[in-house]
Amino acid sequence: MRYLKEVLASRELLANLTLREIRGQYKRTVFGQLWSLVNPLATMLVYTIVFAFILRVTPPPGDPSGLNIFPVWLLCGLLPFTFFSASVQTGMGSILANAGLVQKVHFSRIVLPLSTVGSIGFNWLFEMGVLVAVLLICGAWVLPWLPFVLLMMVILAVFAAGLVLVLVIANVYFRDTQYFVGILMQIWIYMTPIIYPISLVEAQSARIGPLMGTNVTVLDIYRLNPMERFVAVFRNLLYDNRWPEVNDVLFCAVSAVAALAVGLWVFRRNEKGLAEAL
Amino acid sequence: MKVDGLSKSFRLYHERNQSLKSTIMRGRRSVHEDFWALKDISFEVPTGSTFGLIGSNGSGKSTLLKCLAKIYYPEKGTITSRGRLAALLEVGSGFHPELSGRDNVFLNGSILGMSKKEITRKFDEIVDFSGVEQFIDQPVKNYSSGMYVRLGFAIAINVDPDVLVVDEVLAVGDAEFQEKCRLKFVDFKEAGKTVILVSHSMSTVQDMCDHAAWLNHGELVTAGEATPTISAYLDSLSFGGNL
Repeated sequence: MRYLKEVLASRELLANLTLREIRGQYKRTVFGQLWSLVNPLATMLVYTIVFAFILRVTPPPGDPSGLNIFPVWLLCGLLPFTFFSASVQTGMGSILANAGLVQKVHFSRIVLPLSTVGSIGFNWLFEMGVLVAVLLICGAWVLPWLPFVLLMMVILAVFAAGLVLVLVIANVYFRDTQYFVGILMQIWIYMTPIIYPISLVEAQSARIGPLMGTNVTVLDIYRLNPMERFVAVFRNLLYDNRWPEVNDVLFCAVSAVAALAVGLWVFRRNEKGLAEAL
Repeated sequence: MKVDGLSKSFRLYHERNQSLKSTIMRGRRSVHEDFWALKDISFEVPTGSTFGLIGSNGSGKSTLLKCLAKIYYPEKGTITSRGRLAALLEVGSGFHPELSGRDNVFLNGSILGMSKKEITRKFDEIVDFSGVEQFIDQPVKNYSSGMYVRLGFAIAINVDPDVLVVDEVLAVGDAEFQEKCRLKFVDFKEAGKTVILVSHSMSTVQDMCDHAAWLNHGELVTAGEATPTISAYLDSLSFGGNL
């Protein structure tokens, strides 16, 4: 509790550091904040050509929205995932990137990883805003779902922050962590139904049947991935325009709280040794 | 402020497992020995005094300052201090080169623990003290090194702490700026605030401090009134004492 109070006391610093990241990021570029859109758009283009045009992946149309546009369907899952992957990968380097500061000034160290997640979250908010405009143009009545989308964005940010807090410490002691996580993220995006619909996994799982005499199916294991639930919820809200499954939302919320609790615990235990370990 | 039985050790690694590979391949923890940078240091800094830490290179002065500034945490012993503590170990750390001087004042101020209101109130004073008014809206990467350091110093000195911990940063800027800093320290003293500083310049210590502590190889040799401590230290040097 006392720790939370201390973190709360440095919220102004957190806000300032987040602003520093946001303002500094696209300084001296002609397109500025628009660059934040370029990456997901380029990925979208590649995936659309490869998976919708060449491999003919056909996701089910939005129910009840009736949308049937692959790039839009893709973005509804891709944007949350790129936020997650970018904030984990950038956030885990935040203490190392600010080594000079950590070794010279006393302040609540936790603001460094959190401000990174915050600044990437800001970019994500911008991207989601553009996505909502596109959805509206395509005819999905997404406006009433926006408050819930925002709530889910916060929950995903909490989940990412929890992972970042563990990994940022690990990365100070073992610099291998960042390379390892880079590979993990590449695998993770394919282990999550972002580029293909989950129905393909369901079909395979039904074909294989229960594993080794137990009740567990491939799909059950597949669905342990919290990002699968997050993507499902975001697609329900944005693309289908309907309420997500309660189970999915609960799964997301529980993983976020668990990740944050572990993250805070690990970070707090190691925070004091950081200046020496760097 | 009181320091009681303070000890701080660092690990000297002979074989350090800083990659996962080495940890797994060797399958054991790294090999290290402890090096005690500070051994059982106890002294008291009277409130309202200016306190100098002296000693040769590697005697543990900076480590002690970092412990006081809560950057390192000692293995043994306690540090008790009253009031707000600010440390000035390096000026301008945390400046973002692409941001303007103005943005950096707010950013750096909040890193040092000032609230936005406080910074806004002191903004003019900070800019005035640093002498970079004309360039305050320019990105700090275009500053000369002197301007950079002066702005950093101006922010830090305006944190207005009860205890200020300073490491060898007084030698910044030109003669005029140094004089400004000296006056600021006099103000500090008159306001009843405690200053703890490290310096290799005995004339500075003699000039500014009323109390001093002499460290040698991590151990406290003596602490007390400035003049006798300094002369004892100087004597040990000129008579070929333990360098």
